Amino acid sequence: MNRTTRTIIKIFLIVAVTVACTAAAYYLCSNVTGHALATASDNMNYSRWQEKFFALTRTTGLINGLCALSWFLTARFLFKVDEAAGAGKRIFWATLLMASLAVSLGIPHFYAPIIGIKLNGIIFGLFAAIFAGLGYWLLTIFTTPLAFKYTPLGAQLLTSKRDAT
Amino acid sequence: MSYYFISIGGTGAKVMESLTHLCIAGLLPSNERLYIAAIDPDVGNGNLERTSTALNNFVVFQNFSVGNDTTLFKNKISIVRPFPWNPTGHDKTLDDLIEFYHHSNTPVGKLYEVLYTKKERDTTLNEGFRGHPSIGAAVLAKKFDDGSRLTAQIEKVIGEGDSVKIFLAGSVFGGTGAAGLPTIARLLKNNLADYADRVSIGGVLILPYFSFTPVDKLDELFARSENFLPNTKAALKYYSEKENLFDATYFVGDSVMTPVGEFSVGSANQRNEAHIVELYAALAAADFYSRPLHTPKIFKYICHHERDKFSWSDFPASSERFVQFARFIFAYVHLIKPVLIALMSGDAKDYKYPWFVDFLKDVDLTSPEVVNFNFYAEAFAAWLKQIETLNGREIFLINPDMFEANPAKLVDKKLFATIDGNKSNLTLHEVFYRLTEPFKFDSTVKGFGKFLRRLYDTCAV
Repeated sequence: MNRTTRTIIKIFLIVAVTVACTAAAYYLCSNVTGHALATASDNMNYSRWQEKFFALTRTTGLINGLCALSWFLTARFLFKVDEAAGAGKRIFWATLLMASLAVSLGIPHFYAPIIGIKLNGIIFGLFAAIFAGLGYWLLTIFTTPLAFKYTPLGAQLLTSKRDAT
Repeated sequence: MSYYFISIGGTGAKVMESLTHLCIAGLLPSNERLYIAAIDPDVGNGNLERTSTALNNFVVFQNFSVGNDTTLFKNKISIVRPFPWNPTGHDKTLDDLIEFYHHSNTPVGKLYEVLYTKKERDTTLNEGFRGHPSIGAAVLAKKFDDGSRLTAQIEKVIGEGDSVKIFLAGSVFGGTGAAGLPTIARLLKNNLADYADRVSIGGVLILPYFSFTPVDKLDELFARSENFLPNTKAALKYYSEKENLFDATYFVGDSVMTPVGEFSVGSANQRNEAHIVELYAALAAADFYSRPLHTPKIFKYICHHERDKFSWSDFPASSERFVQFARFIFAYVHLIKPVLIALMSGDAKDYKYPWFVDFLKDVDLTSPEVVNFNFYAEAFAAWLKQIETLNGREIFLINPDMFEANPAKLVDKKLFATIDGNKSNLTLHEVFYRLTEPFKFDSTVKGFGKFLRRLYDTCAV
């Protein structure tokens, strides 16, 4: 597989996983706790709650996807390793992980009151796990450009092929 | 087919240094083993010492498993012992070596006294023949068959059904080389006369290319550069009038006499910088090895385009492999070696270097092979820097502005992509990236050799 193909596949994978995470977060949260939350609110029914919650999930998923894509694009096209000290960039990766976590928790926290829906701890937990855990951490482990492939924490454990052939 | 290279004297040792680098870079014509012998009475000679170090480094790491489908390390080297062979022994004079006390007051002894001055006879020969080929010729003719096991070893190789190409290198203007070239060629020709159909002997005769100013010590016998041209004239007359013993003869010299640093009679202080003439001479050896065993004698002139400039277009060899090898060494020195040092001392984390995790995590980086390769990389860089920064010449094979030697380092990493003056896309980042890409080698490629092979392959444009 040549480098361009690999890049296209990885970008496609980031987009696909982002969409899948958004869908998973939406359906999981809706089914687990959405009904109870919708009926607990004034002037709210389940379908209206779902509609607003979908907008919230979509925004969170999109921004989280941008975090994963930013890491990929930066590592692929901007970072240059032309000496030993230029390698790694784990601080940058970890900063984006923190950003992803902040997005996963911050958007529901600040955006939900604006659009007038209630959320609970389960949703925050699921958002953190799905978006920051799956949609950034795990995704970057498998889509990080090869020059930084062991930068994501745990990547060596999951993807290392020692003495590769 | 086996290749033999015999360096004679200090200049021969410097040709041997260039040939060693060409051999390791994969520039010899086929995968044959190269046997290297050195003849030098000045065993502490700094030039010989430097060459021996590079050679011994390679002998230790040449068995890295880099695979058989690469030019990297394809020619294995064997050192012919004793290395170097010292025909004079320690603290011996010409009288001692000729055993004059057996012949004094005989007609032969009296003739000998006429041919050699008292000073020539009484000077100890620890630092070589001191620019006096007449001393060297006598000593070598007397001692070669007893002291050097070269003929026996060549006979053994031929006995196993192999053919042999022997190449001699030395100067015609000094002492040891001027004496040794015709003498050793004749002795080998005579000793191997029974195998004439399986032996070919070539030689490079180095003409003057450097000069020096000796510290005047009237009582000492030493080479003088003002004698180089008369010596050369006499030697060339000899080769034109007497039977040329070589099946292929190469003459290499320079019209500009490069001044060498501080003068030394010999020994460890005789440590001259590498020169383009020696590289040409090593290429002559490569050319000789590439020809069929018995070909009609041919005469070729090699000219270069501009009087004081050398570039790849002036060389009778392709730059591609050499430049790839230079890239490989500089990528190693700049990107890899500092990481290995930092990882071994615990100052770096391995996750930053995927190639380390993939190739080297389970490799012993303190093994003699790895340590010797590290030394060799430094030696190659130092040699190249010396060639590139020659006094009086503008050499442009590898851009010398991009690196420093001792210890080797890249000073301008941006120039890596234009290492030979041609713009390429092969930046250091590209090398780093390629090292992490999937690839397939056969199962014989393993260990540190596998990593070096991968690095070498990534350095191809």
